[in-house]
Amino acid sequence: MGRLIEEIYVWRLPVRFYHWVNAICTVLLLLTGLYIAGPVLNPPLGEAVWYKGMSWWRYVHFAVAFIFIANFLFRMYWALFGNDKYGRFGGFRPWSPSWWGQPFREQVESYLFLRSDEPNYVGHNPVAALAHFLFIFCGSSFMILTGLAMYGENNPGGFTGTLFGWLLPLFGGSYTLHFSHHLMAWIFPLYLVVHLYAVFRHDIVDRTSVTSSIVTGFKHKVEEEPV
Amino acid sequence: MQSNQTFAELFRARGVSRRDFLKFCSLTSVYLGLSPSMVPSVVHAMENKPRTPVLWLHGQECTCCSESFIRSSHPTIEDLLFNMISLDYDDVLSAAAGHQLEAVRKNIMKEYKGKYILAVEGNISTKDDGVYCMVGGDSFLNIIRETAADCAAIIAWGACASFGCVQNADPNPSGSKPIHEVIKDKPIVKVPGCPPISEVMTGVVAHFHTFGTLPELDRFGRPKAFYNTRIHDKCYRRAFFDAGMFVRSFDDDATRKGWCLYKMGCKGPTTYNSCSKIQWNGGTSFPIGSGHPCIGCSEPNFWDRGPFYKRLAEVPFLGSDSNADRIGMIAVGAAAAGAAAHAAVTAVKKTKEEKHEKE
Repeated sequence: MGRLIEEIYVWRLPVRFYHWVNAICTVLLLLTGLYIAGPVLNPPLGEAVWYKGMSWWRYVHFAVAFIFIANFLFRMYWALFGNDKYGRFGGFRPWSPSWWGQPFREQVESYLFLRSDEPNYVGHNPVAALAHFLFIFCGSSFMILTGLAMYGENNPGGFTGTLFGWLLPLFGGSYTLHFSHHLMAWIFPLYLVVHLYAVFRHDIVDRTSVTSSIVTGFKHKVEEEPV
Repeated sequence: MQSNQTFAELFRARGVSRRDFLKFCSLTSVYLGLSPSMVPSVVHAMENKPRTPVLWLHGQECTCCSESFIRSSHPTIEDLLFNMISLDYDDVLSAAAGHQLEAVRKNIMKEYKGKYILAVEGNISTKDDGVYCMVGGDSFLNIIRETAADCAAIIAWGACASFGCVQNADPNPSGSKPIHEVIKDKPIVKVPGCPPISEVMTGVVAHFHTFGTLPELDRFGRPKAFYNTRIHDKCYRRAFFDAGMFVRSFDDDATRKGWCLYKMGCKGPTTYNSCSKIQWNGGTSFPIGSGHPCIGCSEPNFWDRGPFYKRLAEVPFLGSDSNADRIGMIAVGAAAAGAAAHAAVTAVKKTKEEKHEKE
């Protein structure tokens, strides 16, 4: 196998910061969200006025959600305007047929064991970029929009309700909106499984220290194997 | 009964005192959500404007809206209002029947062209030219098109006419549609609920009579005065929700203590209505007050958001009834299994390659 010949600084600080804030927020949001949908803890003893059992979970969900939104907007700014070769949207062009061409096909074939060699990328490979777009960009946008629409229901005619209330008729009512938010939340644990597997597999197969790169920012370029 | 009588004249004829008349006007303006300074406008309108003619049509429905409307605990007030709107045609309540009654409808349509209100109760069957709902020898679809053509505005009474109730729940064999999907060129006020609260119904009519315009509507076309907030927001059991104190089965101690019905499938958090504010039967109670979870009857397609006693809707998935959590878990499980299989294939491939290299 090849030997370590170079270190590359791939994930700059804003990207790593976003990644970990996003990871913590997503886990917290999923846990609190599932709890709000099905509160399983035993009720406290005594009078209702003494406790905040359910409102505490909702408070955490809303507070973390706003951190999640701010973090998402920060990442969008960085993706559009940041001086970052690997953290930009630049290379991702799903509307252009050429993007779906050779590199994308090679990567899919590699994942399907149709090729013997493993293509290597410093940043995201095209399949990973597509997965991030679908799960993280589209998924987060969906959850943020539906979440804000539901948050606005607490104060009809208020700021959030006015800005995002149009989603209610679009989804055919508050209940369907809640249901869609609940159902779509499951794409995050789904993505977590696929993401962790892909990272560990690439680290083992390619030996580019991709796992630690999201902590340190560095990937290690490995010498090509002699053919 | 003269058709050009004003509300005030009718009150007087019925022996209602001036004091009671003003009380009624104040009460109506409170229901309409108007400020106290608007009471004189209500009084003025009630004294001077001739009563608004209303044609009340019944399609595919159970008449529960009419029942709610007539069965109120304030007969002196609401029975009068019921008369006051000059209800010229109502095939359920009218004394006349058959051709005589149809003649009245045709007459009003001609005499008050562009001025009368069309109140619709029930779905409109549209499949097979609407043969699944025939009224007076014609399909309800034709009747509604004919009557709506010259009306000033339409009031959609109840869940049926507003969003569609049990008739157009899946699979909707008669192709039933709510009124706004059939008549698109007229202003429509939706007064959903199965049935709506009687004070809400009279309030909408009184608003139109007072101002000559429809009340302020929300994004779904419902009057904001009554449908602006959720049952949950004004629920007297909300403290138990916030404290995390829930009823877990209908025979537990929490039921007796009157805790929150959220876990019993209460749709209060997603249902916009006034039940927890105005309540029913003159403020006697409302479903949650009687220990039953809200079924969300004033929300679109509430029959298809079931079951009533579960918080999370069941949806068809891979040929069986499932819910969001089960679908999510299956998807995550499938992803984990896929990853494991992929890992196994990778391992086998790697081992083979390494062997090949050694050779």
